Amino acid sequence: MKKQKGLGRGRASTWQLLLIAAPGLIYLIINNYIPMFGVFLAFKDYNYFQGIFGSRWCGFENFEFLFRTRDAWLITRNTLLYNAVFIILGTMFSIFLAILLHELGTRKRVKFFQASLLLPNLLSWVVIGFIVYAFLNADTGFMNNTVAKALGKEPTNWYTTTGPWPFILTLVYLWKYAGCNSIIYVSTIAGIDKSIFEAADLDGAGKWQQIIHITIPMLRPTVVVLTLMAIGRIFYSDFGLFYQVPQNAGRLFDVTQTIDTYVYRGLMELNDVGMAAAAALYQSVVGFLLVVGANALVRKLDPDNALF
Amino acid sequence: MKKMLSLILALLMVFSLLGTVHAENYDQVVFSYATFNNIPTAEDLAVVEEAINVITREKIHAEIKLKPIVIWDYSSQISLMLQGGDQIDVFESLGDFNVCVTTGMARDLTDMLATDAKEACELVGDDWLAACSQKGRIYGIPTLKPIALTPMVIYRQDIVDELGLDMSQVNSPFDLTEIFRKVKAGRPDITPLSAVNTGNIGLGLTVPHVDYLSDDYYSPKGVLMNGEMTVVDFYASEEFRKACELARTWYNEDLVMKDAATTSSTAAELRNSGKYFASIASYSYPEADTAASLELQSNGIKLGAKIIGSAFLDTTSVNALSWMISSTSKVPEAALKFLNLTYCDPDIINLVIYGIEGRDYVKNDDGTVRYPDGFDAASVPYTAQLSCGTFGNFFLMYPMEGTSIESLAWEQEQNKNAETSAAMGFTFDNKRVKTQYTAVSNVIEQYLAGLICGAVDPETEIPIFLQRLSDAGLGDIIAAKQAQLNEWLAAQGK
Repeated sequence: MKKQKGLGRGRASTWQLLLIAAPGLIYLIINNYIPMFGVFLAFKDYNYFQGIFGSRWCGFENFEFLFRTRDAWLITRNTLLYNAVFIILGTMFSIFLAILLHELGTRKRVKFFQASLLLPNLLSWVVIGFIVYAFLNADTGFMNNTVAKALGKEPTNWYTTTGPWPFILTLVYLWKYAGCNSIIYVSTIAGIDKSIFEAADLDGAGKWQQIIHITIPMLRPTVVVLTLMAIGRIFYSDFGLFYQVPQNAGRLFDVTQTIDTYVYRGLMELNDVGMAAAAALYQSVVGFLLVVGANALVRKLDPDNALF
Repeated sequence: MKKMLSLILALLMVFSLLGTVHAENYDQVVFSYATFNNIPTAEDLAVVEEAINVITREKIHAEIKLKPIVIWDYSSQISLMLQGGDQIDVFESLGDFNVCVTTGMARDLTDMLATDAKEACELVGDDWLAACSQKGRIYGIPTLKPIALTPMVIYRQDIVDELGLDMSQVNSPFDLTEIFRKVKAGRPDITPLSAVNTGNIGLGLTVPHVDYLSDDYYSPKGVLMNGEMTVVDFYASEEFRKACELARTWYNEDLVMKDAATTSSTAAELRNSGKYFASIASYSYPEADTAASLELQSNGIKLGAKIIGSAFLDTTSVNALSWMISSTSKVPEAALKFLNLTYCDPDIINLVIYGIEGRDYVKNDDGTVRYPDGFDAASVPYTAQLSCGTFGNFFLMYPMEGTSIESLAWEQEQNKNAETSAAMGFTFDNKRVKTQYTAVSNVIEQYLAGLICGAVDPETEIPIFLQRLSDAGLGDIIAAKQAQLNEWLAAQGK
């Protein structure tokens, strides 16, 4: 009874709000819901002229290639581990930057640093790939020609040595994204009630204590929401990072191959729409389950911060 | 209101009647082709269309609409337009004959060829037509052009002259080692061999007598070698090991660029940088012509070319570029008749390639053509000259100024004399082994470039590579190929 009343009242008073939301909702329906018919493709042996619905059903045949080989374990491990590292280090690094930016004080300085931290985010992966290449190139790269020489070390053939790549990729990821992600934290910090800091100041808490006991706890809801969203995409990898930055070097596949690059490389020759759709569906379903699971965990530990 | 409605309906009827009368006069055929040149404006295009129509109205009772599409977008555009119900009657299979057939884009032409494309069939011959078939039905007509690709080494003539090298003694890639050593000694500032594209220094294609059985040249899976009819693993062959060892020798002695396996520079860029001596690739023109045409874009560096292998024809080399009639075409007969004209009517084919004489090109006295004074390929109203190797009959086209007319004879000879695979005409349908294909493709991506560019030691790496390939299911692919090949052989009565 109560619910009905709530709904009725909602309709009466919120149609203006709905109107405002309409462009966004329509966009969401056209862009995210209508294409969902594409999931049929994952179970179809697709033929252009029979169309999506006319093509033959083929069960789970299209999914087979994701699980059949020993690569399956490798690509799953790489995708999950890299994303876990990115979520943890990325969040820590962004918060760190946000706090530093906040403590800078004057507007001008904040704006300057914020702009320069944002810059890498505007570069495409292809460009970043070549910046990295300028560092690591075997013959003329900065690392081999300048750094290794200065340290008196033997030059390394970077694109055939797997060891350093997990670190290189993480570093490049942080360089590109941390600045951009810190903006959300900066705005959250700016929204914290100033009087709390003043009270702490009066009580004799230093900057460090204020950061530990006020800023970081106040950021927790934001961190939880962003992390939950990131977990939803944990089965997707940043294609540009894993394809462009290692210059598609075969020797590095053991540490750079992720689900997306595997699907891309495998289907380059086959052009099979059904198999590509199967891979995407698999990623979405696992991502969805993980979000629901993580959210349930959060709800148990910290009910106020759960997403739904 | 009702009156108004009926008036509109009546008007509509009249118009549609007019429309049908018009269409009844001439079949409307849409001819879509890929172009490397600029897309002409609608007005400029209309002039060419009208000139073509003057011929086609009389000869085949049809009117032609030209639809040039930029080469990079061609395959996806055609597939989208056909799905979307747009009219495309004639199109080309750019690279992927099998996909066009298995997805149902191409019409079965078997029973129409004799009546509507007799001349074209006679010109290309039964063997080539058979290469455009699947399960005994013919789906396309291959482009008649120099398809025999001969492996050559392209080198800098100035350095050969400077160091007094004798290139005439070079007849295989193995003869190059000595030359490269001399270059290295004489010009230490220059790396002897550059890559052609990422992960390819050209050695793969110098392995002779390989039928790739419908696979990509850069990613062969099961192949036929040395005329045997047994499908084998290319990477387990003696020839592949030797090529890798050769590359390794070059790599260890600094005779080849070190990052050939990862570079993203193209052969032309590397050549123009002036830091490399040679590159290896396959071309369809004679030595002198190849060097001359590459020189046009080499910043004034003098180039030479030397054949270091022999051409070999398999099904893919024929059907990679074939012309098809769409399965949605409403005028397949007229479409096929027009396609036929691009093989046997010099006026038609030259209109499509060069446009209008006087406006888009002028003829020289020796039979070659050039752009009108003050114009080039980018500024004439219409040209598709860069696509000349993709249309109907290459040998009916006016040669461009600068290419010698005798070359055409050489190219025609090569087509006839090049060794042809015994499995010519066989196409492999990979439907049952798609899973294995993705896994095997990935393994090849991982290992092949390093091996064939010499970056890793073949002695230790080839066994690992072979193991990974068999883990990924290469055995299944080879078995499937063998089974289909046996069936095909039985059907051929061989």
